[in-house]
Amino acid sequence: MIRRLLWLNGFAVLGAVLNHATGWGFTAMYWWTDRYTAVAVPHFARVGDAAYYTLRAIEQFIMFSIPAFLFVSGFFVAFAAGRQRQIGWSVIGNRIKNLVIPYIIWSVAIFVLWALQDGLRPWHAYARSLLFGRAAAPYYYVPLLTQFFLCSPLLFVPLARKWWKLLLLGAGAVQLTVHLAQYPLILGWNVAAAQWVARLSPGWFMPQTIFWFAFGVVAGFHLPLFKEWLARWRWVLLGGTAVFWLLAFVEWELLFRASGAQWLSPRVTLLDALYAGCFILAYMAFEKVPIPYARQWGELGTKSFGVYLIHAPAQEMVARGVYHLAPALLPYQLFFLPLLVITGLAVPLLLMAVVNRTALRPYYQYVFG
Amino acid sequence: MNHETILLEYIKQELLRGRKSDLKVEDDLLSNGIIDSLGILQLVAFIEERFHIQVPDEDVVFENFQSVKVLSDYLAKF
Repeated sequence: MIRRLLWLNGFAVLGAVLNHATGWGFTAMYWWTDRYTAVAVPHFARVGDAAYYTLRAIEQFIMFSIPAFLFVSGFFVAFAAGRQRQIGWSVIGNRIKNLVIPYIIWSVAIFVLWALQDGLRPWHAYARSLLFGRAAAPYYYVPLLTQFFLCSPLLFVPLARKWWKLLLLGAGAVQLTVHLAQYPLILGWNVAAAQWVARLSPGWFMPQTIFWFAFGVVAGFHLPLFKEWLARWRWVLLGGTAVFWLLAFVEWELLFRASGAQWLSPRVTLLDALYAGCFILAYMAFEKVPIPYARQWGELGTKSFGVYLIHAPAQEMVARGVYHLAPALLPYQLFFLPLLVITGLAVPLLLMAVVNRTALRPYYQYVFG
Repeated sequence: MNHETILLEYIKQELLRGRKSDLKVEDDLLSNGIIDSLGILQLVAFIEERFHIQVPDEDVVFENFQSVKVLSDYLAKF
């Protein structure tokens, strides 16, 4: 079963690439409409057409990506702690170093692009971007995972080892609160508590995703029990994956219409989280089912952090390139989406292959993790 | 080649990529930052493919993967 975690990481990073490609797809359809039609933007006439629902279906499907990354990271913490001992600070330090150095390198590269485009910004703007992972949309994950690792020796490991039910209940309650707070905010209700919860749980901070990491640590420490549970519930988990995907998809459409807004930025609701959980667990539960192209998924899994860091700026450059050079292609999602997905995978993988085959090889880990 | 030599070579080539050529069989792989979460999974995949050994999930613990020496001793049991 453990080998499946590597493939899961491969699926998850493809999910991240697809997610940001759909984001640019929506941008092309609604905010860049004036590049190919004489209308004022944003122009939401295409909300509800086939391209919209295709992008939404993809966006809904890949909701498991970040939970999967966090689950695998939590599992690693249990491994590193071993059967008897506590996880060492040297292990935590090295893990964070391997995350943060490539993150800083690529963030600075993006800052250079910002400076070339708009000139220099005040130093504190760069400092804030680094601290909260704002250089690119997916970068919040690095400060988030760093916090989880830092809290592991004092919080996750002791609790997961001895009071794992308490840890799962506590982490589940925290995350549930964050998900439930989304509903009044989406619907535009003036609920002070929900606004406070949202303010205290940005994406880069632990409450929004704490359950996934905690669950990974607990699963790692109590593997026989976890496997037994998975085997017993695997068909329910598989059914839950399909049902929650559909319910979450419909829920978003209902919330969108009920909100009265012309557009809603993606948010993770409770049904999204239930879908993600069922997806990951069902995938782990059917451990005997062979995965097609397992070797390739494993390869992608080993390169997931590098792909994760580089795909977003690469996609942005290509999307903006199409905007400026070939705007007539923007409304055609059948062309635009595959182009961005290929870019998001090919550019990082090509860079990694080049570094791996040249004198720069010893620096590979610093650049790609 | 024995397990130790093969594992040492694999870790140097695929996980360290020439960063630390003086890796010794007793070196702590985790505390020294030689392998991380994906590194362990990569190593398990390599062992299963190269030695045709199915590593039980319960055995993928720090105690069996602490160093090349410890890992080789563990694999010798199969």
